[in-house]
Amino acid sequence: METLIIQLLNGLVFSMLLFTMAAGLSLIFGQMDVINLAHGSFYLLGGYIGLTMVRRLGSFWLALVVAPLVVGALGLALEYFFLRRLYGRHRHLDQVLFTFGLALIAADLIRWNWGAYVESVPPPELLSGQIPVFTVQFPVYRLSLIAVGVTLALGLGLLLERTRIGAIIRAGVADAEMVSALGIDIHKVFAGVFALGVALAALAGVLGAPVLNLYPGLDFEILILTLVVVVVGGLGTLRGAFFGSLLIGMADTFGKAFLPEFALFLIFAVMAVVLLLRPSGLFGLEGT
Amino acid sequence: MAAITSRLARARVRLARRRTWWLAGLVLVALVYPYVVRPYQLSLAIEVLIFAIFAMSLDILLGYTGLVSFGHAAFFGLGAYLVAYTTLGVTNNLLVTLPVVVAGTALAALVAGFFAIRTSGIYFLMVTLAFAQMLFSIAIRWSSVTGGSDGLSGVARPAIGLGPLSYTFDSRTSFYYLVLAFFIFSWWFLRRVVDSPFGWALRGIRENEQRMLALGYNTFRYKMAAFVIAGVFAGVAGMLLTQFFRHAAPENLYWTTSGQVMIMLIVGGTGTLTGPVLGAAVIRLLPNYLSTYTDRWQTVLGLTFILFVLFAPRGIMGLWERFRQRGENREHSAD
Amino acid sequence: MGDKKTVRPSGMSRRQFLRTAGIVVGATAAAPLLSACGPLAGGRATGPVKIGLLLPYSDIYAVLGESITAAMEMYFEEVGNEAGGRTIELIKEDTEIKPDVAQQKARKLVEQDEVDLVAGVVSSGVLLALRDYFDANKKLLICANAGANPISRDRKTPYIWRTSFSNWQPNWPVGKWAAENVGKRAFISVPDYAAGENTITSFAHSFVNAGGEIIGVQRTPFPNMGDPAPFMAEIADAEPDLVYAFYSGGAAVTFVKAYADFGLAGNIPLLSSGFMVEEDVLPAQGEAALGVRSGLHWALLLDNPVNQAFTAAYKERTGRDANVFAVQGYDTARVIVEMLNRVEGDTTDVDKMVEVLPDIQFDSPRGPFRFDAKSQNPSQHIYLREVREVDGVLHNVIIEDLGEIADPGDNSKDLEV
Repeated sequence: METLIIQLLNGLVFSMLLFTMAAGLSLIFGQMDVINLAHGSFYLLGGYIGLTMVRRLGSFWLALVVAPLVVGALGLALEYFFLRRLYGRHRHLDQVLFTFGLALIAADLIRWNWGAYVESVPPPELLSGQIPVFTVQFPVYRLSLIAVGVTLALGLGLLLERTRIGAIIRAGVADAEMVSALGIDIHKVFAGVFALGVALAALAGVLGAPVLNLYPGLDFEILILTLVVVVVGGLGTLRGAFFGSLLIGMADTFGKAFLPEFALFLIFAVMAVVLLLRPSGLFGLEGT
Repeated sequence: MAAITSRLARARVRLARRRTWWLAGLVLVALVYPYVVRPYQLSLAIEVLIFAIFAMSLDILLGYTGLVSFGHAAFFGLGAYLVAYTTLGVTNNLLVTLPVVVAGTALAALVAGFFAIRTSGIYFLMVTLAFAQMLFSIAIRWSSVTGGSDGLSGVARPAIGLGPLSYTFDSRTSFYYLVLAFFIFSWWFLRRVVDSPFGWALRGIRENEQRMLALGYNTFRYKMAAFVIAGVFAGVAGMLLTQFFRHAAPENLYWTTSGQVMIMLIVGGTGTLTGPVLGAAVIRLLPNYLSTYTDRWQTVLGLTFILFVLFAPRGIMGLWERFRQRGENREHSAD
Repeated sequence: MGDKKTVRPSGMSRRQFLRTAGIVVGATAAAPLLSACGPLAGGRATGPVKIGLLLPYSDIYAVLGESITAAMEMYFEEVGNEAGGRTIELIKEDTEIKPDVAQQKARKLVEQDEVDLVAGVVSSGVLLALRDYFDANKKLLICANAGANPISRDRKTPYIWRTSFSNWQPNWPVGKWAAENVGKRAFISVPDYAAGENTITSFAHSFVNAGGEIIGVQRTPFPNMGDPAPFMAEIADAEPDLVYAFYSGGAAVTFVKAYADFGLAGNIPLLSSGFMVEEDVLPAQGEAALGVRSGLHWALLLDNPVNQAFTAAYKERTGRDANVFAVQGYDTARVIVEMLNRVEGDTTDVDKMVEVLPDIQFDSPRGPFRFDAKSQNPSQHIYLREVREVDGVLHNVIIEDLGEIADPGDNSKDLEV
């Protein structure tokens, strides 16, 4: 029983970490219909920028602000110069090739700049240490990730559902021409969404670094994980990304704990089963 | 009017005759190729031909039917393991191993397709990825059969044997001819498939599945058939690579392999049979040459992809078409 | 679908074929066409000795490839880039960690560049994939890392020699030591692949023979462990006397840090194969690694003159502390030079080169280096090390020499768990 509760807690922590990773991908994927295979690269880049901030300035909190800003600005530039030309369903394969090319370049440049050694980022002083949960000393930083995930979910939810900007984004997804007719520059909206999406990836990179560390190859690990989460949840909804994270996070944790032989297998099996029962994911709209 | 028609007809005959000569020439070049190049060039040709079969098979799904599979390595790897296991345990006789590979991958494609085809778009992409990744973890785990992460090594080159008559494709040159034969057959067969009414139905599904349904087509069956054909040819490609490298590795099933073949298609140009072959050549050879000359080969490769997207959105075939049309326009204006 | 009627005119399909066939030819015509197809290139007797390097320079094992290369270049420079009267030329190829890429690159080195011998290879999967090619073509491969046991056992070939280790080697002596000095109830945690399995059977054999008991085995997903938390909970739940683990690279940092994060470090002793806390990952692990004890054939602070000179020179050259992979690269270069000297630079006869290998002995940074002719792998001392703070920096300090160990050459000293 105690083990069960501890693993439940582990699952919750990992789910929320997954949500922070997947939120940006879900946004870009769902709101812009753009397949971004460089998502893991933005995550890793954010993490490494965070590492430099922590090393140079000694502040994890500053890293949490600066890394998303830098990567977000990069996102704006990429959107303006390249991605803008590649919108539309019939350009999906071009998006795949473009973002895969980006991912290759990013992996190479990251290795060039930061080296291939594994790097780790210590959690902030305030959140280091453990608190006892039954037999286990549970790390405070991990517990705090639950709060971060929930806050992020609520914040993004409010932004999309309750603000004017959110309304414009949603309207833009439903009917871009209509929004343009209203005198709103849809290009700016999409540029903003893309920048926000990759900034979120960078934020996740900093948040995840104390748990998963930073090393070459992590970018594609994160990409596959987040793709699974977003697709299981269903495209186009933040709620989908949230519950997709919960399902995959729990499946991964309990799989590792109780069915270790199938741990690698399990998240893909869960995804396959979900998509067989609901071909558009948990919260995806039918026919999209 | 009649004069124009007859002139066109004559031009067509002339072109056809020219093509026949070219065809004969190219086949001849392909046949004497092993005798004019060094063994390494021959081995690169073998790799390119094998990956060309693999890429053409995916194009049946992705290019012609519009089903973007991100798990095509499942069948490639399955073919690899089936031939490795059969060769190590039973025989290297192609008359046994080929049917095993074909039947095994067809069966797997039937099962996977039955489930995957219920979904579409990005969901289809992810279900196929899931299938391949599950096979990958089985390959890693079930080491008594698959050799685990080390894979199965010591796979003998194939032979063809009937009773007392037997021939082993031991030398690289003989293996090249075997692969060439498989390639020509695959190209011919897939050409027949995509040019048949069945192939046009697949294109119809790609363009508008609802309309095909309304026209009374059982699109599920068509997609299943495409999935099985694509799976079998991918399996044959995996079989050939294993026989060439004498080794089946779990990486054959990994998503990076699926990604690689998908990139081959996009770079070469989807929806043609020639595009995948070009793409296979570029993706198989370019990193190989680049990495010899620069440590930053990944950056160069990435930039190449981005240039393709910006300037050759329909891949090499798109570029070629544009080039050819410009040439034809010039010819017409010269008339 | 069996319909024979084609919708398009047949000329179209022929043109398609023309293009296709053209590619086949064009694709490989990038390289010069030669008039004759000779046998696979052998070594030569004059001109520079070409040595092909098959190493990963990208992806997760890039550090290993870089370390091995830097140390090899360092040794070659020390001897003036010359051996057996011939200058030495290195040709590097990136294998990533893909067996098929490695196969392609091996062919390029051997057949196009006509190298005299090949060195490198980091991952076991790649080594086993290359094995038949080197065996069939009688080309010498000096393996500088990959520890797959079978290469010293049932998949042995005269043409592959290892300067590194077999996976069995660093684990087996630690089993006995752990049972005698730490505790009798051990829990094992390894990644779920061949090297992990090699670790289990090797450690378990000597641990159980010394009166220990394996109370649990945890096999974690390979290649990516992902979130380590569930495994920590399982270890805490098992309450063993000690944990024996084997991880490397990113997973080593993730595992060791999580072990400390969950308060297991200090409560349950953590022992491991030395790669888990080697100098390449130790800085990232930081204090989390304090107290971890491990068995390996080298340690940064190993006290011998060759090692002192080597570690100082390596640090000056690269700006980083040396690691065991660099040592293996350094020794690989030395073995090659000693071998070339003995055959007087004549690389035309591979069997002659293989013949002199067992006689090569020298003082290496790891202590005396010599091959065990039976396993074609070094017979070497395994040191029991502990991570301690030395002058404000974390290092592996040697606490005991577990003696000279050679791979048994078969599976007689392995225990399935």
